[in-house]
Amino acid sequence: MKIFWSFARQAFQYISVYRFNFFMEFILTLVRMYGIYWVWRILYTQRPGAFGVSMEQMVTYGVMGMVLELFIWSRPQWYMANQVKSGAIDTDLMKPLDFHVHMLARSTGESLIGIGVLAIPALIIAYLFLDVQFPPDMWTALMFVVSIVLGFLVFFHLNFLLGSLAVVALDIRHISWAYFSLVRFLGGQIVPLWLFPPVVAAIAEVLPFKGTYYIPISIYIGRLAGVEAIRALEFQLVWLIVLVLVSRMLWDWAHRRLVVQGG
Amino acid sequence: MIQVRHLTKDYQRVKRREGFLGSVRTLFSADYQTTRAVDDISFNIKEGELVGYIGPNGAGKSTSIKMLCGILVPTSGEVLVNGLVPHKNRMENTRQIGAVFGQKTQLWWDVPVIESLKLFRDIYKVPEAQYKQNLTLFNELLDLHEFSSTPVRQLSLGQRLRADMAAALLHNPRLLFLDEPMIGVDVVAKEKLREFIKEIDRDQKVTILLTTHDMTDIEKVCSRIMIIDHGRIVYDGSLEQIRAEYGKQRKLVVEFEEEVPDFSAPHAALVKTEGRKKWFAFNRFETSPSTLIADISSRFPIIDLAVEEPEIEEIVRTIYRGKPELVETGIK
Repeated sequence: MKIFWSFARQAFQYISVYRFNFFMEFILTLVRMYGIYWVWRILYTQRPGAFGVSMEQMVTYGVMGMVLELFIWSRPQWYMANQVKSGAIDTDLMKPLDFHVHMLARSTGESLIGIGVLAIPALIIAYLFLDVQFPPDMWTALMFVVSIVLGFLVFFHLNFLLGSLAVVALDIRHISWAYFSLVRFLGGQIVPLWLFPPVVAAIAEVLPFKGTYYIPISIYIGRLAGVEAIRALEFQLVWLIVLVLVSRMLWDWAHRRLVVQGG
Repeated sequence: MIQVRHLTKDYQRVKRREGFLGSVRTLFSADYQTTRAVDDISFNIKEGELVGYIGPNGAGKSTSIKMLCGILVPTSGEVLVNGLVPHKNRMENTRQIGAVFGQKTQLWWDVPVIESLKLFRDIYKVPEAQYKQNLTLFNELLDLHEFSSTPVRQLSLGQRLRADMAAALLHNPRLLFLDEPMIGVDVVAKEKLREFIKEIDRDQKVTILLTTHDMTDIEKVCSRIMIIDHGRIVYDGSLEQIRAEYGKQRKLVVEFEEEVPDFSAPHAALVKTEGRKKWFAFNRFETSPSTLIADISSRFPIIDLAVEEPEIEEIVRTIYRGKPELVETGIK
């Protein structure tokens, strides 16, 4: 487990090298938070009762969607694609470390730093200036924390699956853009699932993407509570197990391809 | 330490068709062609040996090293590294292996060297005492402390290679692969790296496989060389042996008092003329330098003489070009 912390230290080094980059990322997120804050406020003054929750809840939902992005900023698929393309994947495979665990450790480390350096400061600003509510009670707060951890793991495995494809496809930039739009939309980062048209909502309900943003934030604002919240956590957990299994299988296949064909 | 039996590796490559329409067709249906990168090679390496592994580009060196590391599966044949089958026990096997690739670094580009080393320590689960001891050793032998807090991207090439060397040895591997570890390094740094390689081989009994294109490295460092070409081992033996087997040819350099016309001496061929100097090539089993000198000095007055032994580089060049009768005797 120490290895996770080692990668976190490494990620911190990385951030301190590219301070300007991360400072910009932070500013950009603040702008996004402010933007979504105003969008919902204006929509609520136009049609107060149309969105199913109170304005305070909705503003909290929108702003938290932006904050969560800082928590899951790690992109293992880009690392994987780069390593495969440059041939440096050999040096990764030469380490006595399971590649899947290696990537997970790397992403977890990066996310830990993401929370400390970016997400928590952004959250404080959100509480102070953007009317973001605290969770209704301790129990909800606890479920929220469990849910974002599960959400992080679900998101990591989706990314890892995409990265495994890089072994075959070599360049995943274009798939990546489509994929991010898909995750943001079906994950409910900006618009919650209950506002989707029925058919799209039905599709989004069964896919794993809603485990990344929609479930944690809905628990946070109390939209998913009690049994529903527990069900939602179960949903994340089941998808996580499925994704872990599929990831292992796909990576084994990709790895075999690498070792048999030589990349 | 290493046992390799009838090792063969085939690659399947997509055969690209020419032209635009051709590439469109390749997108949908690809033809595969098989290339044999390593062709039925066998060898043994004992613990603590320092072997020069040489061959022209594309000869199959890297492919065979990758199979020893377990990151490529052989098409056929057997590999045993310290009793382990590398591709079946990849993780266990890599624990006892260290590698330096001159062409690419294993260190993280953006962070200080020492941070990369700490991560290596955690990945290989190196005990703290051993880690400290090794760092002291690297500071002493590689001057690591001079640049350990500099990010890798700001290091000079020589420093980067030293840092890579430290990373590869941090977990005290039993086996070290050095794949062109001195490419592009200046003479002084090179000498230092060579000394370092010899020292760890001697003191820690590390088995080392060194790949290089610089024959001076081989001459100064290795006790044994293996030459691979077209996926086959064409020579395997000690340096002295290769000199004895291939070094039959000597050159006599003669400087005359004044410029003289070209002539040929018995059992010797004139190979070069430069002003008053002439080079004669002869086989040392057919004639001796003294008879040759006697013959030449009877024709023209001589000022100076020298006998040149063939450079190892020249011998290797002969082997690469594949003179069949020589190659045959070279196979063990």
